[in-house]
Amino acid sequence: MTISRRRLLQAGLLGLAGAAVGTTAACGDDDSPTGGGSGSESSDISLWYWSGGLSDKVVADVPKQFPGITFKPSQIGGAFKDKLVTTISSRQFMPDITGIKGEDIAYFMAQAGQFLDLNELGAGDLKSQYLEWKWKQGSTPDGKLIGFPIDIGPTALFYRADIFKKAGLPSEVADVTAAAGTWDAYFDLGTKLKKALPGTFLVGEAAEVFDMAVNQSTKRYADADKKFIGDQEHIRRAWDLATKAVKLGISFKVQSGKQDANAAMSQGTLPGKLGAAWVALDIKSAAEKTSGKWRVAPMPEGPANQGGSFLAIPKSSKAPKKSFEIIKWLLDVDNQGRGYTDSALFPSAPAAYKLPALTAPDEFFGGQVTIDVFGPAAQKIPVAYESQYDGVLRDPFAAELSNVESKGKDPEAAWNDAVSAAKKAGERVGVS
Amino acid sequence: MALSRTAVPAAPEARTRSHPHRAPRRRRRALSYWPQYLAISPFYLLFAVFGLAPVLFSFYLAFQRWDGIGESEFAGLDNFKYLIKDDVFWLSLRNTLLIWVMSTVPTLALAMVLAVLLNSVKRFKSFYRMAFFIPNITSVVAISIFFGALFATNYGLVNALLEAIGLGKVAWLQSEWGIKVVIAALTVWQWTGYNAIIYLAGLQTISTDLYEQAKVDGANAVQIFFRITLPLMRPIILFTVVISTVGGLQTFTEPKVLVGDSGGAGQSGLTMVFYFFRQAFSNNDYGYGAAIAMVVLLVVALFTILNWALVQRGQDGRTRR
Repeated sequence: MTISRRRLLQAGLLGLAGAAVGTTAACGDDDSPTGGGSGSESSDISLWYWSGGLSDKVVADVPKQFPGITFKPSQIGGAFKDKLVTTISSRQFMPDITGIKGEDIAYFMAQAGQFLDLNELGAGDLKSQYLEWKWKQGSTPDGKLIGFPIDIGPTALFYRADIFKKAGLPSEVADVTAAAGTWDAYFDLGTKLKKALPGTFLVGEAAEVFDMAVNQSTKRYADADKKFIGDQEHIRRAWDLATKAVKLGISFKVQSGKQDANAAMSQGTLPGKLGAAWVALDIKSAAEKTSGKWRVAPMPEGPANQGGSFLAIPKSSKAPKKSFEIIKWLLDVDNQGRGYTDSALFPSAPAAYKLPALTAPDEFFGGQVTIDVFGPAAQKIPVAYESQYDGVLRDPFAAELSNVESKGKDPEAAWNDAVSAAKKAGERVGVS
Repeated sequence: MALSRTAVPAAPEARTRSHPHRAPRRRRRALSYWPQYLAISPFYLLFAVFGLAPVLFSFYLAFQRWDGIGESEFAGLDNFKYLIKDDVFWLSLRNTLLIWVMSTVPTLALAMVLAVLLNSVKRFKSFYRMAFFIPNITSVVAISIFFGALFATNYGLVNALLEAIGLGKVAWLQSEWGIKVVIAALTVWQWTGYNAIIYLAGLQTISTDLYEQAKVDGANAVQIFFRITLPLMRPIILFTVVISTVGGLQTFTEPKVLVGDSGGAGQSGLTMVFYFFRQAFSNNDYGYGAAIAMVVLLVVALFTILNWALVQRGQDGRTRR
């Protein structure tokens, strides 16, 4: 079949006209009222989340639970935060409910005006059901709840019991808990491990110790008044611990999550890992064949939090009340249990820790009931002010730490360089 | 020389033909070509929306302070002033240039050798061409993950080989130079075939008469290559050098996948584009990110001009294309 030239041109023109109409229609959206406290809410509700951000099964059950609405969940792939920022900037095609990743919450907290205060929609009544520190993390300093807690990332020490045993170290959970109560004791274990089994390391990389120790503190890199506190004792302590691990030679010096670290975990040359509850999934997929040999013990000197996300309602939502009802249901205690089973989302509501989904023994961890470690850890997470500039201020410390680890730079000189670089970077963004 | 003699005559003729028309007539003629303009318009419309507009906006952003959502604030030259004093930026520039040299020189040298070999191949011509081109159309992310496994320090194939022949392990992705070597190796692997195909096309335009005459005059293969092939290939080499410069100075995906956001040991995998990405999209400093991007543009332009001048040098006007 041949297409005549005229026919082709006509089709092209039609297409162009169609595109133009589409654009103007989209612009028209801007005029429609945003927010809306009236009872006539839209019944179309869209949700943005990322793969694994919520239990897909729970999300799929929303239409059954809320028959009156048209629910459109979308899994947004790639850089989630960037896509959300772009959409907020363009004020087009905004979701009614959106996920916010834990590492981005401080940034969005500074943009609190873009989201609705969930307390005004009735979140206040639910506050007691969720972990206090997590609730605070999702609230602005003046008490607006922007992010409703999805999950948390309480940290622990994952270790290979078989390798510990082979090296003559304590291997039962209770014994390891007792033997690794402090960082120094933990490093001692590392030294003994290396002596008994040369080529075996307890610490993956210096940054792992550094970040965990910073997370254990009630202070981070900047305070709420935009004052730089990265040169203070709490960061120095984390720095000293990380460089000590390097000096003792117990750091494997490989980036976590990369092929080398994964291979080492299944080979047994890296039988320890400090990580959040969700790291269990990573270990399970990286070292599948070592099932049954891993255990979980409390982290030296207490737990910290790493990761864990939120749900928020952008202020452009045309159905805030219905959206909040959906959030409330998506993240209620029972569904938190399902989230744990389906996507390893560690519940932010402590009542869920008694659900069978969480109290079941885990075969990968030799039948250990891991909630016995993670549950109490979740309750003891230190609350720290998270600044949106933490990332900028952390970069120089991470860079200098890597200089110490890979180039043998003197820790004291590296510390001074890191502090002065962080100060300089801070001044640029108004932290001093 | 034979090349340019055939190519040149067409140009002056075209120029003189369009010259005498007066402006109004030209406009009317342009209008009468509307179906043709319409036919090529999709590219230009898409380019304007997705290419030109973002470029102009990032130029504007370079003089702003913007966190991505809130109001942006005019910052004058602040971003550039900070950039001049920013050690990390200079480190990223150094990394970029080193990786670029370490990858482009072997790529183009190997490509030339390959092209000459391919040109003399008698059988399975298309097979070889395809085989050498395939790395270029393979996903960079996939290749980077593969190279990451290949060059893993403890369980990588490369180190296993090195140990088997009695050399020690190399901490490829944990050392300053190792990271650069791996990124360069990856680039060489991906781009040698592409450049070889372009060189091959160039080689095929060289008249065989020239070679035959040279042989009759008693030239050997090396002399033929350096005295005939290389000079005639100059415009094509210039093209590949420019393309490699533009691409090589914008290396991003390889280090991002190989060493992650930290930039690797001593941040030695942190290239300029990677740094701009980190500042804009990880640290939400879009104004500064845009300023870095502007400097990337400058550096690329500078090196392209420099290369142009170097490759053209010593070449007489007649062989210019």
